[in-house]
Amino acid sequence: MLIMRRRAGESFLIDGEIEIEVLEVSGSRVKLGIVAPESVQIQRKETQITRDENVSAAGSVGRDKIFSLLESVALGSTRIDVKTLTAAKPLTPKDT
Amino acid sequence: MSRIQTKCFGEMSYSQDSVFEFPNGLPGFEDERLFVFLSQPATHPLMFMQSLARSSVCFILLPILAADPNYQLSLSAEDLEVLRLSSARQPRIGTEVLCAAMVCTAGEDRPHPTVNLLSPIVLNLQERIGIQAIQTLSGYSHRYPLLARDRQPELAPCS
Repeated sequence: MLIMRRRAGESFLIDGEIEIEVLEVSGSRVKLGIVAPESVQIQRKETQITRDENVSAAGSVGRDKIFSLLESVALGSTRIDVKTLTAAKPLTPKDT
Repeated sequence: MSRIQTKCFGEMSYSQDSVFEFPNGLPGFEDERLFVFLSQPATHPLMFMQSLARSSVCFILLPILAADPNYQLSLSAEDLEVLRLSSARQPRIGTEVLCAAMVCTAGEDRPHPTVNLLSPIVLNLQERIGIQAIQTLSGYSHRYPLLARDRQPELAPCS
């Protein structure tokens, strides 16, 4: 990993066309300004992680997986009674 | 009652009370705005978040406190606004909001099922609005193993 020290008001360039400027530093927070071509996708890393995990989760869903999943849930949740957690919810779908 | 073709249970009927709008969609599923939430005694405590528009899109959810009894939800001002909740305080899980973790079942790269504690699904039960609320500063894992319940939450590999 390249490590670079910059102060507020200073910037750096990536590939000559993406500019990242440190706008403000306050405590543990840093405010950055980014100038990049429209074709460059910019997102928070945790959004990318969430996207990948959502795609994996959706792809992993199948009727045949539910039984073994219920076993895992039963094994893992001996400490608390999960029934009390969902008692208040007004979700009322009816099975056919 | 309306009817819907579900991914896991074939055709089911549902009431409009169980349809939630996700104004921002979900990362990776930005176009899916309406989900039906299904729960049945046979699959308790799991819930199924079925896309209304695409029967092939369904997520399995576990109430977040079942995954981690000490889970601390922290919603940003923007999240609270989308959910139409007061910005003065955090909502109570179970009464004001339903908070659930997305489950990824075991597969080739995953020996055990995992839950995503980094990005819980949060529902305003009154307004029937939902978001996926990424917990940026929490350190919660996006791949928390469902079996190893005594382990401390891992630090997510991002900062």
